[in-house]
Amino acid sequence: MTARLRELSLTLLLLFVLLAIEFGMAFLPLARSLRPLILIPAALMVCVVGSVFMEARQGPVIVRLFIVAGLLWLAILLGLGSLDPLTRRDYYLDWTMIPGPAKPSATPPVPAEVR
Amino acid sequence: MSDTTIKYEFQYSSAEHQADTAISGMWLFLATEVLFFGALFLSWIYSRHWNQAGFDAGAQQTWLAIGTINTVILLTSSFVYSVGLAFIRAGDSRRLMQCCVLAWLLGAAFLILKFGVEWPDDIEKGLLPGPGFSIEGPLRGGAQLFFVFYFFGTALHGLHMLGGLGVVGWIIRRTRRGDFSPDYHTPVTVVGLYWSFVDIVWIVLYPLIYLIGRGP
Repeated sequence: MTARLRELSLTLLLLFVLLAIEFGMAFLPLARSLRPLILIPAALMVCVVGSVFMEARQGPVIVRLFIVAGLLWLAILLGLGSLDPLTRRDYYLDWTMIPGPAKPSATPPVPAEVR
Repeated sequence: MSDTTIKYEFQYSSAEHQADTAISGMWLFLATEVLFFGALFLSWIYSRHWNQAGFDAGAQQTWLAIGTINTVILLTSSFVYSVGLAFIRAGDSRRLMQCCVLAWLLGAAFLILKFGVEWPDDIEKGLLPGPGFSIEGPLRGGAQLFFVFYFFGTALHGLHMLGGLGVVGWIIRRTRRGDFSPDYHTPVTVVGLYWSFVDIVWIVLYPLIYLIGRGP
């Protein structure tokens, strides 16, 4: 009982430390595209809550199967869903190079709804 | 677990079989919930990728202090519930009761801060997407998308919190009735899994809403 209470208390402390790191990272001068790195402490917090508070390592074997299946399908969902936005390349057209009568004077930005 | 003292339904071979089935069933439900919230997280990835500046402009309008306090509240609530579970395993149902009440109160405090303080302030500041949206200029579209994610995500999470408060309240009632013992406390375990899962969802939502768009 005492050992379990000590484990839970240390876990809460660790979670607060990770939260503080995550909070501090938010104010680092990171490039916009690198700012999702702030999710790393959050991912560690999820692992800590899952393994200690939810005791994911205990219980029947099928529990681990459900956890792996859930994470696998989440990876597929996020992976396949992100493929398009993360790999699509925009080619900006220089309208002034196209022969023809009506030409805009400068390269227009690609409208958001087209992208 | 002694089968001689614990009743179990006819379809199970033992009380332990019944407990394992309940715990596995909750994990299976949580696996489906992961995919449910996964679609929300995917919408964040997709929308922010195409509107990074607008998304970040929206995130900078959120109330960071309340978001952070709420994260501390939920982590503590999950911890307190786990302590209660440890107490009932040791046979102390009075302490379980106290822990469940405290976990419930912390959950209620989260909801009050989120929907009683933060949301009204956001709406008053004109951050509800629509014609009255207060952010003007080229970042307006991206910022509106951010607040669609913000209101939808926090509302979904809030509904799960409400469900959680309901089942923790049910555990409190059953504990008062003296239903649980070191040999039988499966409902306490199963509800604890759900309560911690709701905490996990917030652990992911917190940086997506409050931190990633808030640069120096």
